[in-house]
Amino acid sequence: MATKQETSTRPDLPLDGVRVAAITVVWAGPHCTQVLAEWGAEVIRVEPVDAIQPYSRGAERIAPREQLIEMANNGITLSAYPDFDPGDEPWNRNPGFNSHSRNKKSMACNIMTSEGKQAFLKLIKEVDVLVENNVPTTIEKAGITYDTLKEINPRLIMLRMPAYGLSGPYKGYRAFGTHVEAMIGHHYLRGYPDGTPDQTGEAFTADAFAGILGATVITAALRFRDITGQGQQIEMPLAEGFLPNLGEFILDFEMNQRVAGPQGNTHHSHAPHGVFPTLGVDQWIAIDVSEDSEWRTLCDVLDADLLKENEKFTTQLSRFKNRDALHEELTKYTIDIDKYELFEQLQRAGVCAGPVTDDVELLNSPQLIDRGFFEELDSPVIGNYRYPGIMTKWINTPNTLRTPPPRLGEHSEEIYKELLGYSDLEYKELLEQGHVGDRYPDHLLPEFLRSAQ
Amino acid sequence: MTRQLFEGIRVLELGTMVGVPYSGKLFADYGADVLKVEPPDGDPSRAEGPFLNDIPNKETSALFLHLNTNKRSITCDLAKPNGKDIIRSLIDSHDIVIENFNPGTLESLGLGYKVLTSNRTDLVLGSLTPFGQTGPWRDFKGSELVLQAMAGPLHMNGDPAKEPIKLGGNLAHYHAGLSLTYACVLARLRVERGGSGDHIDQSVYEAQAGFRDRRAPGLTSASYTGRSNKRGGSLGRVASGPRPAQDGYANIMAGPSKHVPEFLRLIGREDLAEQPDAKKPFMQMSTTFIEEMEASYAIWLIERTKREAVAATQSIGILGGAILTVEDLLNDPHYQERNVWEEVEHPETGSIRYPGRHFVTSGATRKQMKRAPLLGEHTVSVLSDMGYTDSDIVQLRRTKVI
Repeated sequence: MATKQETSTRPDLPLDGVRVAAITVVWAGPHCTQVLAEWGAEVIRVEPVDAIQPYSRGAERIAPREQLIEMANNGITLSAYPDFDPGDEPWNRNPGFNSHSRNKKSMACNIMTSEGKQAFLKLIKEVDVLVENNVPTTIEKAGITYDTLKEINPRLIMLRMPAYGLSGPYKGYRAFGTHVEAMIGHHYLRGYPDGTPDQTGEAFTADAFAGILGATVITAALRFRDITGQGQQIEMPLAEGFLPNLGEFILDFEMNQRVAGPQGNTHHSHAPHGVFPTLGVDQWIAIDVSEDSEWRTLCDVLDADLLKENEKFTTQLSRFKNRDALHEELTKYTIDIDKYELFEQLQRAGVCAGPVTDDVELLNSPQLIDRGFFEELDSPVIGNYRYPGIMTKWINTPNTLRTPPPRLGEHSEEIYKELLGYSDLEYKELLEQGHVGDRYPDHLLPEFLRSAQ
Repeated sequence: MTRQLFEGIRVLELGTMVGVPYSGKLFADYGADVLKVEPPDGDPSRAEGPFLNDIPNKETSALFLHLNTNKRSITCDLAKPNGKDIIRSLIDSHDIVIENFNPGTLESLGLGYKVLTSNRTDLVLGSLTPFGQTGPWRDFKGSELVLQAMAGPLHMNGDPAKEPIKLGGNLAHYHAGLSLTYACVLARLRVERGGSGDHIDQSVYEAQAGFRDRRAPGLTSASYTGRSNKRGGSLGRVASGPRPAQDGYANIMAGPSKHVPEFLRLIGREDLAEQPDAKKPFMQMSTTFIEEMEASYAIWLIERTKREAVAATQSIGILGGAILTVEDLLNDPHYQERNVWEEVEHPETGSIRYPGRHFVTSGATRKQMKRAPLLGEHTVSVLSDMGYTDSDIVQLRRTKVI
């Protein structure tokens, strides 16, 4: 295993010594355990090798190189492998999976089989925390609800993150983040003010919030357990974890019966407030002006004396009232300037502005590079690549990514034998029967990956 | 033993607008003792609105009322020496301090982390800024729009033929405030387990760069391939994505699912369900097959309400959701049955519904939510508890320190 930093030289991370089991799928649950692992927790990802867990390692839709390049040409890179090459083990090379799974361990175990469930129950005795984000019925069907597990480990903290809840009419509903965000009012709000919801594509905001909120509540529950000695279940539906982010819209409806429409880039008082085209194809700069002095500075930077003198735009109120005309005028000035050049000039002069930045550009951000945000991780099945790092800095606790994303089943032997006490013989049997391993069975794979070839 | 989750933690909030106040709210809503310090004319979010009946009023801004539940508030002018003394002793009596001044401001006031920790190691200081405490852009300005543009998902949102647009509301700042909260809770756990506190440097910019709404995966694929995600990239799947229903839009993922034959029977196309294409991945379906499925689906959907359509497709295992407005949300039977809204009484607004709990815990308890404080509502009681006499308080008020 490649270790980035000697753990002995590192100040204590707050979750050192905390062990977490994860039966998580897709994004929200894995994001939660990602941030737990970043702050010291040992996260064991429990995942089947005899079945494909959909939308987790991307193994249900392995595409050949040519198709991935075509998708990238159409703007979709979220399932593109290093150099577009699926390799022999594409499930270990998926960027969606790898971006949240660094620092984690992978234990092959299918909780839906009796051998898997037996191992899982042994694991539960050895962990502090269990995180899951399956459809509620999956956990019920597997017979591993909190009421059962607390009998085995009364100190267990179990986080359940269904889409909509363990009760209510939508209990059984299946959803990705994009469907949850429809049902929590966000999709409608983020549209073009003059447009319809089908023009805005997908977003996965509820996954992002649920992940960090879940980790926050687990940490609080560990503190609660230190004080009371009690474990507990936390039920945090993706929908309910997100709803408070729309509080101002909800209270507006309650106070004024106003149903907020699609917001786009509008602001209720700032002007200019929006994105303006700059030099190049599909290049934009965001500008947000709230005060009159900032407006005059903006005009100075753009050499726009006529705009500065135009009485329609002198005060915040007049700019706001005439914002459509204002945006049209400003576009004439921004369209010939490089967005980064304009950004630096505006910010140095004190105007709030910034370039619309794509993924490749953001990898080169001078600010992120200066702050050491990106980190390299090397893995034999992936190669040596930079990853987005830890999103919070602690000034007296330097922290880095420790281990690369785990290969499917990479840590099975160590966990089964050392942690769960399986004998060499017992482990060998599990291996021979296909309960553990590091590949999915051939019949589940596309032809070009089958081992017979 | 009944206890609230954050019971016993004292949090001092020196924060304005969204990020830090949201962090303070999370602590306060789950039992921490949160004291908010406002400048004498109030947190600027009191002037932000939307207001009751659209009449500007420092006590009826929806943004402020929502973000400051369960807190106490004092006013204090940090720029005045007496004000600084008050803040210094308040910091000394709190476990966690959360703030969003520009980088270097606390140091220039003589309230930097080093000074504050000269005689204690347990302080957790959580700082939120647009770009962080260090780096070439640390003094740059950042707003919700600008930060979503620079590191968030803005480049991926919207129609490729139009301008990129931001996510709704103040999500970048809510997200950064949440991330700050996580760090502060972690640091407090370490303190209570015998370790030391820390100075937490959370930028909205880095929170956006690590945002799970496609940015962190997008940066990883950009690192792997040298290519970026673009607007419109997720469109174009078969019988999938937001489509018009009778009363709005539904986002149902039919084409890419393994339930296409059942779906076709559901929409009255038994004939198509029998064809071999119905069992193929959507990328391998013939154009004619796709066109027929799409046409029948469009008609089926427009004849049903968005919730009916989602309920019918969910019943055969297809993922989806109805695109709800805020009004739909508040009237939705699911959220009502689960009691996610909470009535909160306020002298100006009367009793209205707020988003209540974010989650349900089986061990820790939670109390009825209390309204946000009126401006300076607790100034006198807090100063009295600190040992200020009535005449001290009169003097502080006369000199506009409070």
